[in-house]
Amino acid sequence: MSALLEATEKALELLISGDEALWQIIAISFKVSGSAILIATPPALLIAFALAYLRFPGRRVLVSLFSTLLSVPAVVVGLTLYLLLSNRGPLGDWRLLFTQSAMVVGQIALAFPILVAMGHAALQSADKRAWETARTLGASPLRAFFVVIRETRFGLLAALLAAYGRIIAEVGASMMLGGNILNYTRNIPTAIALETSKGEFAQGIALGAILLLLAFTLNGLLHYVQGKGVQMS
Amino acid sequence: MKPEYHLQVSQLCKSHGRRLILNEVEFSLPKGSCTLLTGENGAGKTTLLRILASLEKPDRGRLRLAEQSWQPWRKARRMLQQRVMYLHQHPYMFDGTVEYNLRFALGSRVPQRDAEPLIEKALRLIGMESFRKTSARTLSGGERQRVALARAWLRSPQVMLLDEPTANLDYESRQRTLELLQRLRNDGMTLVIASHDPLHFEGLTEQRLHLQAGRVEAVELNMNPATQPANVILMRRDYA
Amino acid sequence: MSYRHIFVRIFSLLLIALSALQFSVAQAGEPQQVIRLATTTSTDNSGLLQALLPHFEKSSGYKVHVIAVGTGKALRMGRDGDVDVVLVHARKAEDKFVKEGFGERRFSVMYNDFVLVGPADDPAGVRGSRDVGDAFRKIARHKAPFISRGDDSGTHKKELSLWKKAGVKPEGQWYREAGQGMGKVLQIAGELGAYTLTDRGTWLAYQEKLPLRIAFEGDPLLFNPYGIIAVNPKLHPHVNHDGAMALIRWMIGKEGQTRIAAFTLHGQQLFKPDAKADEVALLKP
Ligand SMILES: Nc1ncnc2c1ncn2[C@@H]1O[C@H](COP(=O)(O)OP(=O)(O)OP(=O)(O)O)[C@@H](O)[C@H]1O
Ligand SMILES: [Mg+2]
Repeated sequence: MSALLEATEKALELLISGDEALWQIIAISFKVSGSAILIATPPALLIAFALAYLRFPGRRVLVSLFSTLLSVPAVVVGLTLYLLLSNRGPLGDWRLLFTQSAMVVGQIALAFPILVAMGHAALQSADKRAWETARTLGASPLRAFFVVIRETRFGLLAALLAAYGRIIAEVGASMMLGGNILNYTRNIPTAIALETSKGEFAQGIALGAILLLLAFTLNGLLHYVQGKGVQMS
Repeated sequence: MKPEYHLQVSQLCKSHGRRLILNEVEFSLPKGSCTLLTGENGAGKTTLLRILASLEKPDRGRLRLAEQSWQPWRKARRMLQQRVMYLHQHPYMFDGTVEYNLRFALGSRVPQRDAEPLIEKALRLIGMESFRKTSARTLSGGERQRVALARAWLRSPQVMLLDEPTANLDYESRQRTLELLQRLRNDGMTLVIASHDPLHFEGLTEQRLHLQAGRVEAVELNMNPATQPANVILMRRDYA
Repeated sequence: MSYRHIFVRIFSLLLIALSALQFSVAQAGEPQQVIRLATTTSTDNSGLLQALLPHFEKSSGYKVHVIAVGTGKALRMGRDGDVDVVLVHARKAEDKFVKEGFGERRFSVMYNDFVLVGPADDPAGVRGSRDVGDAFRKIARHKAPFISRGDDSGTHKKELSLWKKAGVKPEGQWYREAGQGMGKVLQIAGELGAYTLTDRGTWLAYQEKLPLRIAFEGDPLLFNPYGIIAVNPKLHPHVNHDGAMALIRWMIGKEGQTRIAAFTLHGQQLFKPDAKADEVALLKP
């Protein structure tokens, strides 16, 4: 018990004193996960849109494929990408392994199914008249697309938050693809893993607290946003 | 004198699954005319209008637009989309104010300076000036119908398709809607109104298409002295 | 046409944008001045590299990315060309690595030693054993709990070879494989009151927090030499071979060796510099 208290106390101290190494790790986390979400969202939305609005052969298969991918463990995603990105893998020439880009790729792979599945659900349940009304009022397909996005923004935002929540706290893929390199690919979850394995519980707890706070905020936002979405329809 | 047609349709077929909804349908819409579309529930009125508005694809069909020659439907679709607009039976309001909904119909290319007076005029047209900043989602069904009409007026298509525009309206709103439709007609718009209440539109329409068993069954002429020119020969195939 | 059109159009645009991004990332991903060093968790956890590398980075202009994993994985990364240079302590595996052509040549850098640690009351009576084989046999005879790394790391390999030398097959309830890093294993041993074999560096870093004591040390069999090997550029032409050689030259050179000797943990010297004069001479321009 006293060990826990002691560690917590030190953790608070670290957080408050603005320990540079600690904040560097936090910054890397946000940078990587933020880029992953930014890159993943547009194509994921397009696919979600296509699944919801287009009728084409194989559509159902794709839909269930993406919901299946949701439950693939991060480590498996990480391992698969590791083998692809490794110098001996087919994409080895990209030289991405053990870079921030590799982590971004891994997190994109993790975020993508969530974005597509939840985005699809949101767009699917959206009123088809939104698209039709926009089109018949003379909007170009592109403008109509953005109208639909706008009309379903709460559902889509929920998808975004859920995806972000998953990747910011994910350790397996980041560890494998990034290599946990100090000041470069060491993010919050991999640092926690490392620090606890070293017995440096204080830093682990400090970082854990940040994640907890973040999860709390994201969840709060998610509930708020989902509430909004329900109100609207 | 041959009447001027806005569009002519022939060989139009559409099925949902095994069911043939429209079977070799053909008709013509004279320029500036008002057509009433009737038929039992499930006869295919909505389907026909949605096909005309390019919201659904027909199985096949041929189309002739105003001054052009007959074309397969696929080729003519783009042109059709630019000219025709469809009003849902239950209009959809975008999430935003009434003003936002009206502004949308003007497109992003119309500058705000020009949009302002138009929006004002549209609101006056439907007698809803005080609703400008109201959230469109909170409006009643009748109010939505009016906003949708104003929105359509701002878009000012050449052909407007209305799906049961007076269903669920009280007497007052109905009169107002009819006035508006009259106005659109006078502006030269071609109208098609699907409705179960032909009586409401007496005096406004000069042809009536009756859908039955997948075909346009009966055509009644309704000479309206107020509108010129009177149009004849609506069912004849007119390959010139 | 509408849905389909917009979809195809936007998607192809995105693909183009993404591949452009990909290209630029690929270009910028690995600037030549980065040296990727795969090493063992124990080396990294001791803090030695963090004490050494900044000096090297400053004088050479290179940036060293340290990837700390188990020995097996580190060598595997070198074999696959995913890193430029490896720093490990598993002599046999290192020699094999070089013999098979994955590495150019192994250079001795330093050594530290392993110690056998266990509960303070020493239930197996290991203290004062003749040699390490004797100590291991005592543990087995008493069926005293022993935690093995069980992760194919250098330490794990060392432990297995010691069991073999002791003529004991470690199996049964008392022998547990953790499959974790050294620090984790020490924690587990502490919690369970078990013996374990650890490198001295990790031990020094942890000993204050643990209810364990050194049970046996000093047998030459427990010495733990570290080697550094540049990945063979003939096999993997893209590796930063110049960087790897610069790092090796620095590590076994005067400055590196002096700093290794000067590195202390809790007031104790951890590593003994071990560069061989003939190897250093090889690298002289
Ligand atoms: N997407 C669809 N899938 C299957 N059947 C459909 C679909 N859309 C319409 N139908 C069928 O086509 C037929 C014609 O429908 P439509 O909505 O055009 O009728 P309507 O004349 O507008 O009827 P109402 O007077 O009730 O509005 C109906 O029997 C309907 O069930
Ligand atoms: Mg209908």
